Amino acid sequence: MKTKPHTPALLAALLTMAAAGSASADSADGGAPDYTAMSPQALAEYLIFEAGGFDLDAPTQEGGTARDRMVQDEIQQICTELKLSGKPLDRATAARISALADESMKYPEKGIALGDWKKGEQIARSGYGFRIGHRNDDHAAEEPGGNCYACHQLDPNEVAYGTVGPSLAGYGSLRGTSDAMLKHTYDILYNAHLYFPCTNMPRFGYHGTLTEQQISDVMAYLLAPDSPVNQQPPATAER
Amino acid sequence: MVIRHLLLSFALAAICAGPVLSNELRAPEEVLSDLIEKNESSYLTQSEQNIMMMPDNAALWLADEGKALFYEQRGPNNVSLETCDLGKGPGVLEGAYVELPRYFADTGRVMDLESRLVYCLTTIQGFADDDPTVSTRHGSSSDMMKLQTFIAAQSSGYAWNPPMEHPLEKAMRDAGEVLFYRRAGTSDFSCGTCHAATGKRIRASVLPDINRPEEWTKAISWPAYRVGQQNVRSSQHRVRGCYWQMRQPESIAGSDAAIALMSYWTDAARGQPSILPDKKR
Repeated sequence: MKTKPHTPALLAALLTMAAAGSASADSADGGAPDYTAMSPQALAEYLIFEAGGFDLDAPTQEGGTARDRMVQDEIQQICTELKLSGKPLDRATAARISALADESMKYPEKGIALGDWKKGEQIARSGYGFRIGHRNDDHAAEEPGGNCYACHQLDPNEVAYGTVGPSLAGYGSLRGTSDAMLKHTYDILYNAHLYFPCTNMPRFGYHGTLTEQQISDVMAYLLAPDSPVNQQPPATAER
Repeated sequence: MVIRHLLLSFALAAICAGPVLSNELRAPEEVLSDLIEKNESSYLTQSEQNIMMMPDNAALWLADEGKALFYEQRGPNNVSLETCDLGKGPGVLEGAYVELPRYFADTGRVMDLESRLVYCLTTIQGFADDDPTVSTRHGSSSDMMKLQTFIAAQSSGYAWNPPMEHPLEKAMRDAGEVLFYRRAGTSDFSCGTCHAATGKRIRASVLPDINRPEEWTKAISWPAYRVGQQNVRSSQHRVRGCYWQMRQPESIAGSDAAIALMSYWTDAARGQPSILPDKKR
């Protein structure tokens, strides 16, 4: 698991706390800082890490504690700030995010290849894995999935697909299976911020929530000519 | 029957009041159909079956049971909750829930309905923190859900109107906004990933957009009977469930983080009528 540095926002919260702590001796429990003297960001960090907002000591599947999950890395931090600012993505920020994503990329030693689309389909359909708290997903009992269908259309015959992300129906038949397209698809699954800075899409490779093998299986589901994703839907009156 | 009585008084109120104002008790199904009529929203209309079943919402029974509990002399102090101040004075229930979370001078804190109820159960009735009346927070059979459903139903049709006069109320709301959009964890999610655009779906479920108060009011209208879970659920249960799905740590009920998030999400529905109790998928 990656180690993530404490964020500047957290440091700011702690500094504000220290400053406010001496000033607000009248608070009920003595130690609590004056919330009204803190920036919204500093207060949010304080509420998460210092004020018992979450069960931070719970174990996680990747071996750390829940606290690690709440510490933002730079991409999470920049994209949060951008969203809160209400501003559109500017070129400098986009370049910074893309550069961070580029630095994070790791490629399979044996090169990028298509795996088994049938396994890829299971991964695309399964939302299991990495949930913590009142009920932890048990990875020994079931392999984590990628939950692609939560946000994307894939097989054009599947009706229960989400629309938070773009439709990927016919992904391979529209794009072909050149080495460049394989790399492009791998990059998006590994860390989509490389091409889409501040995308909503999870960084499956970067976080290790999908294994190298699982990524190649999902790639096969997207790209293999015989995958259901690349078949024409039957003509019906509805379509 | 108390339900029939309740519905009758809703009906009478509707007949007598003439033009519908945002601050009068209205049956939840009436509030919802009115919202659907006035707004184009695939979120509001997504379950025809649930809309049809609103008048038979099992949460209405819970509100009845909650009413009995509220006025019953209970706990080590053998008193009712009639002196519980939910923000509009001791025992004033009508319209109280839509003005929560709010700042309470007696605790020096901004509190939501659940944390305020805990305060009343422990300080007025004398229940211990580990008494099941206080500690069991979820499930239709819990006192907590019965009381919350009863109290919330006394605001159905009232416009959400959380006060922002006290500096702490504003501070909590603003921190809640940061929490709402704060991306973290192994999936890089925030609440905003799913709830900051209109008409989007996760699988087949249409998502509510926090930027559209007229659909967001339904999203935050808890307690609601969740058909898929066959239980009446609270705001805190929804917050916990969202963090669980986001692969982030468990949200702690009554914590300032949870209350800040609710302050922001209630402020986002400001001016729109509440649907209480609601029925959801």
